Amino acid sequence: MKAFDIAFKDMTRSFRSFFAVVFMFVVPLMVTGMFYLMFGNIAQNGGFDLPRTAVVIANLDEGGPEFQVNPKNIPGGREARTMGDLVVSILESEDLADLVEVSFAADAKSARAAVDTQQAQVALIIPPDFSEQFADIEEGQAVIEFYQDPTLTIGPAVMRSILDRFMDGMGGVKIAVNVFLEDADLEDYAQTGILVEQYLDDSLAQSEDAEAELLEVRAPASAPQSQDESKQNLLLTIIGPIMGGMMVFYAFYTGASTAQSILKEEEERTLPRLFTTPTPQATILTGKLLSVFLTVLVQVTVLLIAARLFFGIQWGGLASVVLAAAGIVLSASSFGIFVNSFMKDTKQSGVLFGGVLTVTGMMGMIKIFAMNSPIAKQMGDTISLLVPQGWAIRGLMQSMQGEPVGVVLVTTLAALAWSAAFFAIGVWRFNRRYV
Amino acid sequence: MEALLAIEVLNLHKSFGENLAVQGVSFEVGQGEIFSLLGPNGAGKTTTISMLSCLLRPDQGDARIMGHSIRSDGTGVKSALGVVPQDIALYEDLTARENLSFWGKMYGLRGAALKKRVDEVLDVIGLRERANERVGKYSGGMKRRVNIGVALLHKPKVIYMDEPTVGIDPQSRRNILDSVVALKEQGMTVLYTTHYMEEAQELSNQVGIMDHGKMIACGTHEELVKLVGGQTRIDLTLSVDPLKVLEAWQGIEGVEHASVEDGQICLLVADSNLVLPRLFEAATRQSARITSVDIREPNLEAVFLHLTGRALRD
Repeated sequence: MKAFDIAFKDMTRSFRSFFAVVFMFVVPLMVTGMFYLMFGNIAQNGGFDLPRTAVVIANLDEGGPEFQVNPKNIPGGREARTMGDLVVSILESEDLADLVEVSFAADAKSARAAVDTQQAQVALIIPPDFSEQFADIEEGQAVIEFYQDPTLTIGPAVMRSILDRFMDGMGGVKIAVNVFLEDADLEDYAQTGILVEQYLDDSLAQSEDAEAELLEVRAPASAPQSQDESKQNLLLTIIGPIMGGMMVFYAFYTGASTAQSILKEEEERTLPRLFTTPTPQATILTGKLLSVFLTVLVQVTVLLIAARLFFGIQWGGLASVVLAAAGIVLSASSFGIFVNSFMKDTKQSGVLFGGVLTVTGMMGMIKIFAMNSPIAKQMGDTISLLVPQGWAIRGLMQSMQGEPVGVVLVTTLAALAWSAAFFAIGVWRFNRRYV
Repeated sequence: MEALLAIEVLNLHKSFGENLAVQGVSFEVGQGEIFSLLGPNGAGKTTTISMLSCLLRPDQGDARIMGHSIRSDGTGVKSALGVVPQDIALYEDLTARENLSFWGKMYGLRGAALKKRVDEVLDVIGLRERANERVGKYSGGMKRRVNIGVALLHKPKVIYMDEPTVGIDPQSRRNILDSVVALKEQGMTVLYTTHYMEEAQELSNQVGIMDHGKMIACGTHEELVKLVGGQTRIDLTLSVDPLKVLEAWQGIEGVEHASVEDGQICLLVADSNLVLPRLFEAATRQSARITSVDIREPNLEAVFLHLTGRALRD
């Protein structure tokens, strides 16, 4: 009971501090809000408007076996005599008009030059044998050259997403035809062209709303959404991780700041006075540590709810969110206790907050800010897992992406392992110091 | 007789590395008495109090507080006593009422009993009207009163007050001294540390004088004054450097001890009426002029000077 009294007293003190409240709640929401306005262009248009990506296409495809996709399944209802035409038709469709601005180049060199001179962000070079390679069911490899401005991330990432989706669909068609041919009789081979057309039609028909289908990131169980909702989803794929990152960064800040109250009480002489009361020293330390957990818990809970209400961020299913939040709370609290146990006094807090928390926090969040750059993302994935913040963010991202609860649980358990180690070392050091 | 002892200290020792902070301190305090530990800064008073509060473990020796050993029954000791630390130890971002409630809980008080006791203590320290203001907004004197109030919450039998009047205005100091006397009248035993001789003299039934970690004298005011043999202290200010005349004055008949402190000559004499004319004659012979004379009857300051050769304020 006395431990809870101490924890409650510490929480009262924390939440009465103007600066603590600002750093706990206002700053994370404000930073996210700034990104929201920046990417969402809400201040001007009252809605989301991603800048269009300028794409230059050099369609050199000379065609292959004759086929004709059902025009009604091609966005814009146009004919496509080659696979290259099909790619162009999709990119020129009205569905993608808000995202893609298409122009054409006569050859590959001109297309690349357009990107080099920043007239376009991406060049797509469709080679002469694109259709032929696609039609070669057994050995063909249909490849589109993707040439992008290396200084840009979001526009090229959107284009890559569209093309990946298209190529995946075409890959599916090839596999289907291959399977058909393995079992077909010799006389059935004549039907191959018809089969290809049929599968292409089916594949394209599955994407009635190309833009929404290609760009949407949603939990598998979520309901189909309108085009406006899909645009909003794109915004959330940017804002959601940023909010998550801010929340984790400042949760760790709060953990360290609250755990510092042990040192602060020693300097204020209230800790020695507590030791003169008939309260066991272990109870006093437990109360102090409990206050760290509860304060971070309140902060994370409030931020999760506030971000949902203010920005409409979908954190995922309840069980996944609870697991991810538990990972954040436990790792942030234990890390705060751990780091403070190495400090002699609060004068060293500049090093703590400026150095350790900022560096580890940035390492943990590197993945979020590198999400549109594949190489940086891969590196970020590895680097972020070297610090507890990385695991905390990973769990939250998994929850947001609708990963199964089991996957989130594994990440939470990893965060728990970090927490247990930090907590044990921190408590051991504080015990040695006071008890 | 032993049952009437509130505090019984037996041969306490404590060192920090090579620094012998407390060396063989022993004393006894009867129930309902005020015992002052007097000594200059660094004498070992706070270290002694810390050991008696179970904050520090003695290297050697033991003490019993209301019969509870500081070595084997820390919880019993802590339940029996209230501690008023030298520094203000309060949560400045909580109100006085919140502070008292929290500390009351740490002493095991709960519910209605706690609320009632907090109100009582607020009345005792005279802060009922401003109980809901944050302590950080209080004056130094008001903070000192809350600091004392915390130690009274659980109605302890023994209360330690570690230099509670340091750095406060005369009015607040007077209030605190009055409250110490009031505590005694309520039957509490008070262990009071100070380096102000007048406080020890005014408040205490017994005084223990500490220097360099040792208890150099202990007893009632009268017993201690007898140690200096009824000597009177005379402080003189001269128109010349006092060091020039010090050696000659040490040989004047009736002067038992002479020293220079803060630019003054301090003398311990048996009879001031006999010695004073001789001092004026000596000054005239040495072409010095006496510009002020301060004659003090035997007191604890004189005792300390007699025992250590130094003034208490050193």
